[in-house]
Amino acid sequence: MVGSSIAVFWLAYTFGIHIMLVNIGIALSVLVPYLKYRAKKNNDQALLNFSYKLMRFYAATYGVAGVYATAFTVFLLSFYPNFLGVAGNIALMPFAIAILLIVVHFTAITTYYYGWNRFSDKAHNIAGIFLAISALLIPLGFRAVFAFLNTPKGLYFDGIVARLDLTEALTNPTLLPLYLKSVVAALTAGLILVTGYAAVKYYKISDDSYRNALKSVVDRGVPWALAGLGLMLILGLWYALSLRVVEYKFNNIFGPLGWKVGDGTVAYNLSWLLIIKLILYVAQVYLVYTAYTSIKKNGFLSQKDASNLLFAGMLALVTIVLGEYLNAFSQYPYFIADVTDPKVIQSIPPEVLPYLANVLNLTNVNTLATLTSVQVLTIGFMAFLSLATVYFFYIYFKEK
Amino acid sequence: MEWGIYPAAADRLLSFIGIAVHWTILQYVVGLPLLAFVAELLYLKTGDQKWLKIAKTLVKGFIIVFAVGAATGTASEFGLVLLWPNLTQAAGNYIYFPLYAEVFAFLMEVVFIYMLWYGWEKLPKKVHVIVMLFALIGPWFSAAMIVSVNSYMVAPTGLEPAYNPATGQWLFDQGYPKLLLAVPTDYANILNVTLLQQLGMEVVGQNGGVVLVKMPARIIERLVYEAWHGYTVQDSILKLVIKPEYLNQDVLNTPVMAILDAILKATVNYVGVTTVTFKSPVYLGSILHVIGSAITVSSFTVLAAYAMRKLQLRQKGVKNGEYYEYVDTFFKFAAIFALVAIVLQGTVFGHLMGTEIAEYNPEKFAAMEGTSQSIFSISRAFGLEKLMAFLGYGSFNAHLPNYDEIPKDYCVCSVTHDQDLARIGDCRPPLFLHYVYYTKIGLAILSGLFVLGVAYYLFVKKTELPEILLKLALPFAIIIQAVSWMGWVVREVGRKPWTIYGVMTPDVARTFNPAPTSLVALVAVFFIVILGILAYAVWKFLWLPGKEEVGMEVS
Repeated sequence: MVGSSIAVFWLAYTFGIHIMLVNIGIALSVLVPYLKYRAKKNNDQALLNFSYKLMRFYAATYGVAGVYATAFTVFLLSFYPNFLGVAGNIALMPFAIAILLIVVHFTAITTYYYGWNRFSDKAHNIAGIFLAISALLIPLGFRAVFAFLNTPKGLYFDGIVARLDLTEALTNPTLLPLYLKSVVAALTAGLILVTGYAAVKYYKISDDSYRNALKSVVDRGVPWALAGLGLMLILGLWYALSLRVVEYKFNNIFGPLGWKVGDGTVAYNLSWLLIIKLILYVAQVYLVYTAYTSIKKNGFLSQKDASNLLFAGMLALVTIVLGEYLNAFSQYPYFIADVTDPKVIQSIPPEVLPYLANVLNLTNVNTLATLTSVQVLTIGFMAFLSLATVYFFYIYFKEK
Repeated sequence: MEWGIYPAAADRLLSFIGIAVHWTILQYVVGLPLLAFVAELLYLKTGDQKWLKIAKTLVKGFIIVFAVGAATGTASEFGLVLLWPNLTQAAGNYIYFPLYAEVFAFLMEVVFIYMLWYGWEKLPKKVHVIVMLFALIGPWFSAAMIVSVNSYMVAPTGLEPAYNPATGQWLFDQGYPKLLLAVPTDYANILNVTLLQQLGMEVVGQNGGVVLVKMPARIIERLVYEAWHGYTVQDSILKLVIKPEYLNQDVLNTPVMAILDAILKATVNYVGVTTVTFKSPVYLGSILHVIGSAITVSSFTVLAAYAMRKLQLRQKGVKNGEYYEYVDTFFKFAAIFALVAIVLQGTVFGHLMGTEIAEYNPEKFAAMEGTSQSIFSISRAFGLEKLMAFLGYGSFNAHLPNYDEIPKDYCVCSVTHDQDLARIGDCRPPLFLHYVYYTKIGLAILSGLFVLGVAYYLFVKKTELPEILLKLALPFAIIIQAVSWMGWVVREVGRKPWTIYGVMTPDVARTFNPAPTSLVALVAVFFIVILGILAYAVWKFLWLPGKEEVGMEVS
C-alpha cells in the first residue's frame, strides 16, 4: 500500500505539472499564429511584439512540459512495468498517432519560432496553421488511450495475445466528449490567462501603442473566454453522461451526490473533488463575467479586475489539473476502470485473466522501485529540480 | 542480406533509423556544453569578449540541438515501448534504476539549459558559469544512465563468456555463455540440481535466502521465451528439472513468468538494485567511448563550421579585425578539442572498449575481425591477426576467436532445439560487421590524420592553413559522424541474435502485434523527412556561413 501510494504520488505530481504546461501550450499554439496574423494584417507592431513574446514563452516552456511527460512515462515504466508492457503491445496505433504529431508539432514550433521575420508572411502563416493543428490533434491520440482506460472498447484476444481494433476503439463512447472537453478547456484556460496577463501588463507600462495592443487582446479575448466557459459546462455534462457506461468510475464520482448507475455501488467517495472543481469553475465564471461587464460598462477593466482575471486564469489551470485527478483517481486502483465489469471479464480468456487482473491493479507496484534508498534519492532530486524549475520561471520573468 | 536472418527485421530497421537520428543529434548535446563550459571559463579568466561570444555561439547551438534531441528522444522512447514492449517491460522490472535516474538528468538538462540562455544578461558571471556546469553535468549524467542500460544489454553483470583466448577454444559445449543467477532457496529446493549440472549449470554458493548459480544462457533464453508467452510449468522445460515429488497441480499451474520474476528479482537484489547495470563489465569502456565520441563529433563539426568561415574570409581577403580574430580563435579552439578527443578515443577509450568486447562478446569480436574462411578478411589479408589478438587480449600468444567454429545453434536449448532455432534464425552475429568495423577504423584513422595536419599548421608551423585542409573540414565532419554511426552498428547488430545478451532475443522483445511493414516504412520515411527539415533548419539558422552575422552569431 505504501509502495502504491509512492508510485501514485509521483505519477500525479509529474502529470499535474505536465498537464498545466501542456494546456498553456495548446492555447498558445492557436493564439500566437492568430494574433500574429492580425498584427500583420493591421500593421500593428505592438501586437506583433506581444505575440512574439507569447511565442518566446511557449518555446521556453515546451521543453519543460516535455520533460515532465518523460518523467511521468519513466515513473510509469519503473513502478508499473508490466502494465506498460501490456499497453505497449495493445495501444500501438493511438500512441503512434500522438508521437508522430508530437514530432510534427515540434518541427512546427521550430519552424514558426525561427521563421519569425525570416519567412514571408504567407509561409509563416502556413507554419502557424501547422502549429495550431498539430497542437489540437496531439491530445486525440492520448485521449484515445484514456478513453480505452475508461472502457476497453476494441480489445480482442487471439489466444492469449491481446490486440486492439482501432476503428472500434475510436468509437469509444467516452472519447469524443473527453477529447473536445480537453481541447476547449485548454483553449479557454489559455485565453483567460493571456487576457489576464495582458490586462495586468496594461497597467504596468506606459507605451501607448503597446497598451492599445494589450487592450485589443483583452477586449476581444474576454467574450471568447466567457463563451469557452459556457461550452465547458455542456461538454463536461456530455462527458459525465458518457461515463455512465463505466459504472465503477461513474458511481465513485456521482454516486454520493445521488446520481447512480448499475447497482449503485460506491467503492469510495470522490464527489468532494468534483464539488471543489465546480466551485472553482463558478469562481472563474464570476471573475470572467465581471471582467466582461466591466469592459462593457467602462470601456476597460479596472486594475483590480485585471488582477482577478489573471487569477481566474490560474484557477482555470488548477481546475484542469483537478479534473484530470478526478478522472484518474475515480477509477483507482484499476488502470482500466471497467475491468470489474462482468462483460469485460467474460471477454478475457480465463488463462490470461489472473495475469491481467494483477497487471491492471495499481496496488501491485514494482517492489524494486519503491525501495527506501531510491525514494530518498527521488525526493531529493525532485525537490531540487522543482525549485530549479520555479527559479527558471523567476529568471525568465525577471527584468534585465 | 544478413540483416533479415534474425527476427523482426522491419522493426529493427525502424528502431535503427529512430535511434540513429536521435544519436546524431545527441552527440552535440553531450559534446557542445563541454566546449562552451571551457570557453566560458576562459572568458571568466581573461575577460576577453571573444570567449564570451564563442561561449554564446556554442550555447546557442547546444540549445537548438537539445530541443531537437528532446523531440527525437520522445519519439525514440515511445518507439521502444511500442515496438519492443516486452523488452521495455523487462527493463522496467529489473534494470529500471538508470532509466528512472535519467529523468533527473533530463529535468536537470532542460531547466539549466533554459536558465543558461535566459540568464546571460540576468545572472552574475560566476553564477552563470555554475549554471553552465550544471547544464554540462545534465547530458553527461543522462548519458551515464542510458549507456549503463545499453552496456547491460551488451554484457549483463555476471556474464561468463564462452571463449578462452589463451587456448583459442570455444566453451559452448560446457554450457557457456553463462549468467549468474540468484535462485531463491524455495525454488532451488525443488529443482533437480544433478540434472541441471549435466545441462551446464554450476552452483557457486549460497547467500542468505538464495542459491547462486551460473546458468547457461540457452536455458535462460528459453525460460524468458516461455515467460513472455504465458507458459505454465506444465508446458515448460522447467517440468523436466523439477523433482517428481514436487510436481503437483499447483506447481504445474504456476506461470513460468512468476518463477522467472522471482529469480530475476532475487538476482538484482543480490547484485544491487541501483548498481546492477553499472557493474556490467563493458560499462566503463562504453561510457568513456560514448562521451569521447560526442566530443569528437562536436569538435569536428565546430571545426568545419569555422573552416568555412575562414575560407569565406580568405576569399574576401580579410586578414585581420575583430571578426577575423574571433573566427581564428574559435577554429583553433575547436582544433585542439578535435585533436585531443580523437587521440583519446583511439588510444584509450576505444581500446578499452575493444578489450572489453573481445573478452565478453567473443562471438561479436570474431565477426568484427572476420575470422571466417567464408569471407575476404582484411585482418588476415594484411597479416594483422597477431596484432589484433594482442590489442584484444594483451598478449601476442592469444588467439583470435574463430568464427567458423561458433555453432549456429549455441544459443538454443537442446530440448526445444528446432522450435527455438526456427524463431531465432541464427545464433552467430552477421559477418558484414567485419567490413563495417574496418571501414570505421580506417575512416577514424584518416580523420585523426586530418586533424593532426590541421594542428601541425596551426601550432607547429604557425602559418596559414592550406586551402585544401579548410575545404576538407566539412567532409570530415560528416565522415566522423559516419564513424560514430558505424560504431553503433557494430555494437548493436553485432549483438545479434540477442537483444539482451544471453537473456532475450528480438522475437521475444518485440510486440505481439507488429505493425504492417508498409506502416513501418511510412514512419521511417516520416522520420527521415523530419530529420532533413531539422538538419536544414540548423544549417540555415546556425551554421550557414555568409548570412548577415559578421560578429553577430548570437542574437
